[in-house]
Amino acid sequence: MADDGQESEVFEITDFTTASDWERFIARLEEVMHDWKLPTLKRNPPVKKGEYTIGSWKEKSANVRYANFTFTITEYKLKQEYNEKDLTLDDEESEDILPEAVEDLMMMENDFPPRAHCLCRWFGLRHFLVLSPAAHSDAVISESRIRILQSSVSIAISNTSCQIPVFVQVQQKWRRMYVGQCEGPGMRTSFDMVHLKKIPHQFNHLAGLLGVFKSKISTPVSSPPPVSVAVRFTYILQDWTNYSWPQLPPDFDAPSGSEVGNSGFGKLPFGAVEDPVSELHLATTWPSLSEDMIVDNDVYSDLDPIQAPQWSVRIRMMEKPQCLLGEYLGDFGKLCKRSESVEQLLGRSFYQDDSDTADISQALQRLTEPVPMHIPTLSSVVTRARTRMHHKKQMEEEPIPGDILNEILQFLFPDAGLIACIRRWSCCIFLLPLTLLQSGAPCLGSCLLHQKLQMLNCCIARKIARENTSMSQSSSAVSLGTNIQPSLSSNSFLPASLSQASFGGSDRGSLASSPSNKDEDEDDDEFFECDEDPEEGENEKVGEEELAAAGNSQDVEMEDVEEKDKIERTEKEEKEKPEKTSDDSSPDEIAFRDTVVYQPEGRLRQCGDLTLICNDDELLYIPITQDPAPMTEDQLEEHATVLAELGTSEEGAELRARMQSACLLSDMEAFKAANPGCMLEDFVRWYSPRDYIEDDDSCNTPHPDMNEEDRDRMKKGKLSSRMMIPGNMWQEVWSQAKPVPARRQKRLFDDTKEAEKVLHYLASLKPAEVALHLMPMLIHAAIIRIQHIEIEGLPSLTSLMTQITQRASKLTRMGSTDIKKYEEVIKQIELAEVVIARAQSLRAKFSQQVLEDDDKQTELEKFVSSLLEQPEVSVLGAGRGPAGTILHRLFAAAQRSANMLPSEEELLADDDVVDHASQSSSVSVKDFPRPAGKEFILRTRVQRPTSYSRALPQRLFCVLMNNDFRLAGAFSEDTTFF
Amino acid sequence: MMNEDEVLTTLKILIIGESGVGKSSLLLRFTDDTFDPEQPATIGVDFKVKTLSVEGNTTKLAIWDTAGQERFRTLTPSYYRGAQGVILVYDVSNRKSFQKLDMWLNELETFSTKSDIVKMLVGNKIDMDKREVDRQEGLKFARKHAMLFIEASAKTKEGVQVAFEELVEKVIQTPGLWENDSRGGMSLNDRGNQSVSQGCGGYCSLL
Repeated sequence: MADDGQESEVFEITDFTTASDWERFIARLEEVMHDWKLPTLKRNPPVKKGEYTIGSWKEKSANVRYANFTFTITEYKLKQEYNEKDLTLDDEESEDILPEAVEDLMMMENDFPPRAHCLCRWFGLRHFLVLSPAAHSDAVISESRIRILQSSVSIAISNTSCQIPVFVQVQQKWRRMYVGQCEGPGMRTSFDMVHLKKIPHQFNHLAGLLGVFKSKISTPVSSPPPVSVAVRFTYILQDWTNYSWPQLPPDFDAPSGSEVGNSGFGKLPFGAVEDPVSELHLATTWPSLSEDMIVDNDVYSDLDPIQAPQWSVRIRMMEKPQCLLGEYLGDFGKLCKRSESVEQLLGRSFYQDDSDTADISQALQRLTEPVPMHIPTLSSVVTRARTRMHHKKQMEEEPIPGDILNEILQFLFPDAGLIACIRRWSCCIFLLPLTLLQSGAPCLGSCLLHQKLQMLNCCIARKIARENTSMSQSSSAVSLGTNIQPSLSSNSFLPASLSQASFGGSDRGSLASSPSNKDEDEDDDEFFECDEDPEEGENEKVGEEELAAAGNSQDVEMEDVEEKDKIERTEKEEKEKPEKTSDDSSPDEIAFRDTVVYQPEGRLRQCGDLTLICNDDELLYIPITQDPAPMTEDQLEEHATVLAELGTSEEGAELRARMQSACLLSDMEAFKAANPGCMLEDFVRWYSPRDYIEDDDSCNTPHPDMNEEDRDRMKKGKLSSRMMIPGNMWQEVWSQAKPVPARRQKRLFDDTKEAEKVLHYLASLKPAEVALHLMPMLIHAAIIRIQHIEIEGLPSLTSLMTQITQRASKLTRMGSTDIKKYEEVIKQIELAEVVIARAQSLRAKFSQQVLEDDDKQTELEKFVSSLLEQPEVSVLGAGRGPAGTILHRLFAAAQRSANMLPSEEELLADDDVVDHASQSSSVSVKDFPRPAGKEFILRTRVQRPTSYSRALPQRLFCVLMNNDFRLAGAFSEDTTFF
Repeated sequence: MMNEDEVLTTLKILIIGESGVGKSSLLLRFTDDTFDPEQPATIGVDFKVKTLSVEGNTTKLAIWDTAGQERFRTLTPSYYRGAQGVILVYDVSNRKSFQKLDMWLNELETFSTKSDIVKMLVGNKIDMDKREVDRQEGLKFARKHAMLFIEASAKTKEGVQVAFEELVEKVIQTPGLWENDSRGGMSLNDRGNQSVSQGCGGYCSLL
């Protein structure tokens, strides 16, 4: 029993240990075919017209080893989309049905596909396998090896009954030589190929090729059906003669030098410098002829391209035409990666003040006074630019004239090759801050650099406003404030006024703070000077003398707000209100109720019709307040970080509130100054109305038609409970606040210091950083540049531009400093530029002739647009349509110029002299050159190998080119009746 | 507590709205689960941090609570920068605070740096007897402006936690809003025009 069992086990073992490499190779091939489910594949409906090009192709690969030689087997398959109901096949008759591939040989819907695998193109196949050496350099060359491979394939497909044709790539890969086979029930088709470098002259025409085809078939049938023929001739146009690239030639005389397409500083260069369209291929096709309908032999041909029923055109574009904008942006991007500092680039000596710039450097010191070291270039250049501007007398708003600018640039960048972008940067820094920038606080929507410059402007404006106020106060007290805008920042800076508003001016000696000073130093004794409000009625009462005194008092160096305040008050008391009780008060803060002991100051306007809570006769005024300190985004971020770093503990929160209470204090002080005798409740009613709770809930808002009583009742109220929490910040700050009008308060914003910070920031930027900061503008400008080019009908460009814009806006909004991300956008902009250049070039070529007919014109435009979007475009009306006419003319012109004949225009011009008819008859040049390529597809269905075999598809594809001759044949034979 | 490595990302959340609508109270309820009827009025901005787990993703929230007073509004926009989510609060017992929402949205539009910032509308103080803004109105407003909407009460806790969770979840689900690298966009050879010039690789066009 035991023995039997053992023995039977032994017999069940299949021994593959002795299998040869060849057997294993075949086994592996079969395995792959099974894996890919090829033997059981369902049949697909016939391929629709054009589907080979439009549809997508699926590729699948696997490696197969033969001994130690690796092959790759690849499946190519057209992905067909169809409904199940399209499938109409009778499974019962499967005996007789030819494999799909064999039927495909005869399909005429997809001859000459514009884009397809060569095997698809040659044999019209939609699904096939290719076995080729895996390594690119390997090749199967020897005849015996080719045979072995073919046999292996043969065995594999008959073992698996796979009906998909399998090709073996032989010879060097570049030759694209394939042998293949396909087996179906009772038939087989073999695919074979001839490839030569030269066209044998007997096969240079249809007649010769038909001869080959017929002899290869060698059907025993006495009168076979006629062979059907599809022909395509392709003509190449390379010489565009006078319809060439429309880009203007470089203007070498232009001051900007040899930069083609550079139209000055205001505009980015744009466009391709070479024609992005290199070749036009015109394919003239006779899709379906019968061999006995047409003559094409070595002496005569019926195949005149103009008569061809189908024309189609494809365009060869330059791989990467040289484009100005793309190049410019690319260079700029590279610049962002450089790591040199200004010093390294320009040398240390640049910082040394040489003799002829001595006066300038003094000016520099006035500007950025306390910086002890040598100011690095950029700010010094700014200074220089400014001083030069002053030398050139006040130029109001005019930008720096070109010659000065050039001078500066040459001075700045003696190394002329130092990339145009720096010029642009310098251009910005010279022009913008001085004249062009929008005034007001830095706009956070703009880039950091712009914000910095705006900040600078803002500082200048505030400084001017401050000094103007004090000047007008001291000089003409009566006209006080009348000609000054209430909004300080609305004064845009004029160069002319810079001299009187020089930064860190000598008029304030104590000002010399160095930029390293910490913010908000306690000992900073600048006061916020706010213009008096012209509407302010109270001021009129104030005597001239008093104002003058006030003005003078401001010129005195004050150590302390309080001190100053005291003096003012004392003056007032002495001069104006001697009857009032002295208010040299120790403000006992909580109980602080400034009984009207001082003149109200710094009123902006009435606060509705509110009156003081403890004095119904006194109206409640909104004070003039200090503008909040403008900040650039990096400062804001820093500020936020500082606040966040305080942590989330209670102490942290309190500290945070304290840090931010400066503004509240300032507002409270201004409020107290404007509303003598006010209380915190009054303040809250203006500042945070929801924290003042009216006693009577029924009426929250005063109505004009309310009677006195109601109003009185309304006034009664109290602070919200959160404002009454003992010791809360609001009360605390209120108790500390003294009545000081905004203009005499300590400034919340130290314009001098801030300006210095900006200058220092700018000065310490490396060129690469400057470039990076300019990137957003450059991208923006580039996008605008592209959008200004009016070009329509390019859907791909539109979608590309949308993408670019979205991406760029996201990128710049984040304030990204990652050059890689910018480079991605730049690449897309380059692409857009190329697309535009192509479109422009093509349009120029196809719109030479203004057509009277609008329909034709639109047809032509459509044609050009589709040339850009599609690989191959058929020409409506072939040689007789509008596009066809132009194509014909283009070819004819090229022919004439190639043969050194006068052009059409010249002929016409000569009309008077010579008889036109005789002239043209003497010209025996054809309008079209010799076709660059001829393709023929010969097809028939005939019995092979014997007359009683089935009639099966036979096909021969022929390509005839200058140095490439290829015949690709598929010949089927009956394997049942042979 | 939470291991730093497990934190998916840090999100910046902003709370805005009229003064006294209970922004700070909402935040305090969320972060400390407490309610202080005498929450002092915020000066400038305040800041709190909390780690939150939503659907297995642990995120660290940096929440900026802003003062609602008009004068402070000149200072606060800076904190809008880089925020991925915003909670816009009104007081259901105060119609005025609801009417001002448009203004706040405007402000947000102007100052936020992310165009796809997730917005949530919260109607606070639903514990109050005297309601002036109907739930439907809030709902309508939120729909009109593509916001999340919830009514809540910092006092009774209702809706607070879920509001923050919902907001964070939405932010996490919004592609490109919080990831460091927002790739995507097109490849250069995206359209037909490139293929023309390139020939066709494996697929050749003869001639």
